[in-house]
Amino acid sequence: MNNITLPPLIALLLFPGGLFLLSFSLFFEWADRKLVARFQNRLGPRWFQPLADVVKLLAKEEIVPDGVHKGLFLVLPIIALAAALTAALYVPMLGFSPAFSFQGDLIVTLYLLSVMTLCLGLAGANTADRFSLIGATRTLTQLFSYEAPFLLALLGPAIVVGSWSIAEINTLASDSLWFILSQPIGFLVALVGLMGKLELPPFDAPEAETEIVAGALTEYSGRGFALFRLGKDVELVIGLTLVAAFYLGGIINPLDFLWKVAVLLLVTAGLQSLFARLRIDQTVGLWWRVGALLALLQLLAIVVGRYLNPLLFGR
Amino acid sequence: MSETPETPQKFVVPIGPQHPALKEPGHFEFSVDGEIVTGASVRLGYVHRGIEKGAENRNYAQAMYLMERVCGICSHVHATAFALGTEKLAGVTAPARAQAIRTIVAELERLHSHMLWLGVAAHEGGFDTLFMYSWRDRETVMDLLEAITGNRVNYSVNLLGGVKVDITPELADQIRKGLDFLEERNQHYLKVVTTDETFLGRTQGVGTMTKEQAFLTGAVGPTARASGVEIDIRVHAPYAGYPDFPVNLVIDTAGDLLARFVVRIKEMQESCRLIRHILDHMPETELTVRMPRRIPAGETISRVEAPRGELFYFIKSNGTDQPERVKVRTPTLCNWGSVINFAPGHKLADMPMILAGIDPCFSCNDRLISIRRNEQDPQLWSWEDLRQYGVQYYK
Repeated sequence: MNNITLPPLIALLLFPGGLFLLSFSLFFEWADRKLVARFQNRLGPRWFQPLADVVKLLAKEEIVPDGVHKGLFLVLPIIALAAALTAALYVPMLGFSPAFSFQGDLIVTLYLLSVMTLCLGLAGANTADRFSLIGATRTLTQLFSYEAPFLLALLGPAIVVGSWSIAEINTLASDSLWFILSQPIGFLVALVGLMGKLELPPFDAPEAETEIVAGALTEYSGRGFALFRLGKDVELVIGLTLVAAFYLGGIINPLDFLWKVAVLLLVTAGLQSLFARLRIDQTVGLWWRVGALLALLQLLAIVVGRYLNPLLFGR
Repeated sequence: MSETPETPQKFVVPIGPQHPALKEPGHFEFSVDGEIVTGASVRLGYVHRGIEKGAENRNYAQAMYLMERVCGICSHVHATAFALGTEKLAGVTAPARAQAIRTIVAELERLHSHMLWLGVAAHEGGFDTLFMYSWRDRETVMDLLEAITGNRVNYSVNLLGGVKVDITPELADQIRKGLDFLEERNQHYLKVVTTDETFLGRTQGVGTMTKEQAFLTGAVGPTARASGVEIDIRVHAPYAGYPDFPVNLVIDTAGDLLARFVVRIKEMQESCRLIRHILDHMPETELTVRMPRRIPAGETISRVEAPRGELFYFIKSNGTDQPERVKVRTPTLCNWGSVINFAPGHKLADMPMILAGIDPCFSCNDRLISIRRNEQDPQLWSWEDLRQYGVQYYK
């Protein structure tokens, strides 16, 4: 089944790139916060709260603290948001075919998503604030721990399909058995890896407010903070779309997209409210002792399966 | 061309006076090596309110209201300690029913204080779901306290020589119903705290203090009992209703954060049992006896078990209707040693939980403030100096 394609200018400015993605990511942030709040027996924010926050932050003065590289301080949030928005061009947002697609765009997308984390780390290391410095160290430490397992987990479907293009994997995934059934470990690692990437609880040690206030973003206020937050929301949408496209049998049409992503969001919100925050050493330990090994095991099984399959079934 | 080896500068993480982890102002400096804490120091005194001095200018009845405001969470035990001390000086004993009601309110207050602590400690560990749930359930105790006394924070139950409120049979039924719910929830929290993997990872073996160490640092209350120190004023020097309605000692020997959670939750269960027991055997007497207006000259100490540990009052009377000196020592002050001495070696991420583990109450323990002069050696200011400073400052 083929997805619909869009003209480039619309893809950049309206859909899936610009306006649509921004409003959609704000909606996702609200849904996530609301779900976690309901799980915790709270009321949670009203539907326009994330938008109101962004508007308020954009209207506020941006204070540049002493002792920072001013240019870097101002440009990092923009790069972070731009990278996240660019990544959206390669994923099958809302079930339409990606705006741009080439062999290997999976790797490009993943690294565009990591630019966000790198910017966070740099932003924290740029300031002289002690909470920011510790936050930056933790952000980068966490990056090194989840990045490899997350990548391995998304490689599983790619290897089975035999393509490095997100669009092709999406199309083929919708034709075959859902990968969540054939590769359950990969799905788990991918979903939890996404939570680590977004620094959601229980992987929120880099911004643990009771220890280091707001981590790397402690010195950010106003526009910079708003852009970083938007960037994270965009990442949440893209990440969930990727996982849904790879593991939940691809995304064919908007309805398909909505219910699959909603289910994933429900699961992540549940996981967020279930656990106590992990210390950074526990996070690293978990990923390298459990996450990476599981993902490797999954990969090994796929490779062996690919060799055995022709032998057994003579295809 | 030899370079002198640079001594590595200490990387100090300041926590407070304003910090999201602290609900009250206090200042902590943790020097860290990466994530490992190598040194800790505490500075208190940001919320000194001059309550002891204030008590000297009021008569005993007025001073009791002031004392009740030392702590917002354990207001009742402060008033009880003061009332018991004053009654001892005057040679008066409150009637048995009054003592029983004092005890019931004290135990309800312990329930609410421990539930509040459970939530705060969980929040420090990043377990916000437990925080929200325990605070939701805490509303039950707050409602009960409001039903009994009319207030949610400063209950104002005590009078010198008795209590103000009575517990009617209908009220007793309401309390029993509330306790049913709380006991069930506490059972659940005990299970969560002792079985949840991620939470155990944050509490088991963290901040461990042996029995000897707890003794040496002078820890009191649940902090000490979690290390196996058998210390509980309710058991060892019973006051108010405790001689008639004995309470069982809850101790744990592990000494880590987990043990402090377990001890406090089990204490809540014990409080529930005790309240039920008292409600079933309420003495039928008057609520108050007559107190003399002027208290005979003398000195006394009064000790009670606050939710956080031993609360100590020293009251000196000079024969007038105003106390000459009231000294308060709150349990938090005794427990700081356990934080400062056992913080080094732990991860920075454990600090908020270790801090919260003693259930600190900053405003309560700030009794004296020492101001250091810049031009001279550090020294205390005299009353006259302080007055002069105040006059100059506001001129």
